[in-house]
Amino acid sequence: MNKCNITLGIAVSMSVLVAGCATSQPDNAMVNEARASYAKIKDDPDVARSGDRQLRSARDELNRAESLLADGDDTVRIEHAAYLANRHAQIASEQAERAKLQAQIDSAEERRRELMLDQRSGEAEQARREADMLRKRMEELQAERTDRGMVLTLGDVLFDLNKADLKASGEKTIGRLAQFMREYEDRKVRVEGYTDSTGNDSYNQQLSERRALAVRDELVAQGVEGRRVEIQGYGEQFPVASNDTSTGRQQNRRVEIVISDKDGNIEAR
Amino acid sequence: MNRHIPMLYIAGITGIALSIGGCASPGERPDSDLQSAESALQQAVAADAREFEPVLLNNAQNKVADAKSLIEQEKYRDAERLLEQASVDAQLAGARSETAKAKHAVEEINSNIESLRKQIHQSQ
Repeated sequence: MNKCNITLGIAVSMSVLVAGCATSQPDNAMVNEARASYAKIKDDPDVARSGDRQLRSARDELNRAESLLADGDDTVRIEHAAYLANRHAQIASEQAERAKLQAQIDSAEERRRELMLDQRSGEAEQARREADMLRKRMEELQAERTDRGMVLTLGDVLFDLNKADLKASGEKTIGRLAQFMREYEDRKVRVEGYTDSTGNDSYNQQLSERRALAVRDELVAQGVEGRRVEIQGYGEQFPVASNDTSTGRQQNRRVEIVISDKDGNIEAR
Repeated sequence: MNRHIPMLYIAGITGIALSIGGCASPGERPDSDLQSAESALQQAVAADAREFEPVLLNNAQNKVADAKSLIEQEKYRDAERLLEQASVDAQLAGARSETAKAKHAVEEINSNIESLRKQIHQSQ
């Protein structure tokens, strides 16, 4: 009788013990979650590469949670292990993500370096092409390099004697200049008229101005903005040849067109 | 019959005492856990978790604070669990912050590349 009661007592206390420590069902939401987190990353090569330590911790904690669950251990202990397993899995996954992004950054850096090199060589190439083109255009215009810059000299073949109207051949020459100016929009020109020393000064001054103006009008007619064309009449000043001979005088009857630099500056006479 | 009841009673008490003892023995002071939790917090802060993961970081900090008062009450087991959790919370906060920063960096460099590409395209 006595023995029986003691046995009963122990049985009751055992049941209290079991009930106290293992109220959990074999199925636990947090363990499920940890299991899912681990399953998601366990075969991920990026995680294997970059989060292997955390992956191992996740596996160990998950195993612990599983065995505590199987043993019907205390919910607090099961869920604690599950919590840690889940977190380790999340950390491993972040580390893998981070490593992937870093790889992207590295390759993007590489691409950027290449692009910058391309850009630099592209710019150099571009500048060279532009300089070549400009030289060719200047040659086509038969402009000469002088201390005032590129100067295009139009002989008196443009104008009849004592006239300021452009001849047809003159229009064609001006056409080439207009074409050039449409291509190089930063360039300005100064049109300078000159005469020989025949006739009086004020007549020659006016004639030189009218000739310069005629060239300007033709440029404007061919689509060059007027503000890009200065005019200046020099009369019989600055002869380029002797006025004593007819060939010399012919050389002095001329229009010079000074082409600005790329910033629009023209050296004054 | 009367004699048997106290026996049963004593056995039951013993069982309860056993169950309490089995589930909640005080264990050792979790000093090393406190240390690692605090260093995990420091690393998270260094990774700018305050900016990118403030909630998770706060949780971790609160767990450490709670663990400290549990240690004072000599509830070492509970404190240890909290510290272990705080440690992984802080690690996750730090890891997420690093990822967020890397994402920003990717976006930045990609837009950088895009504008370079446009420049090159324009100059050609």
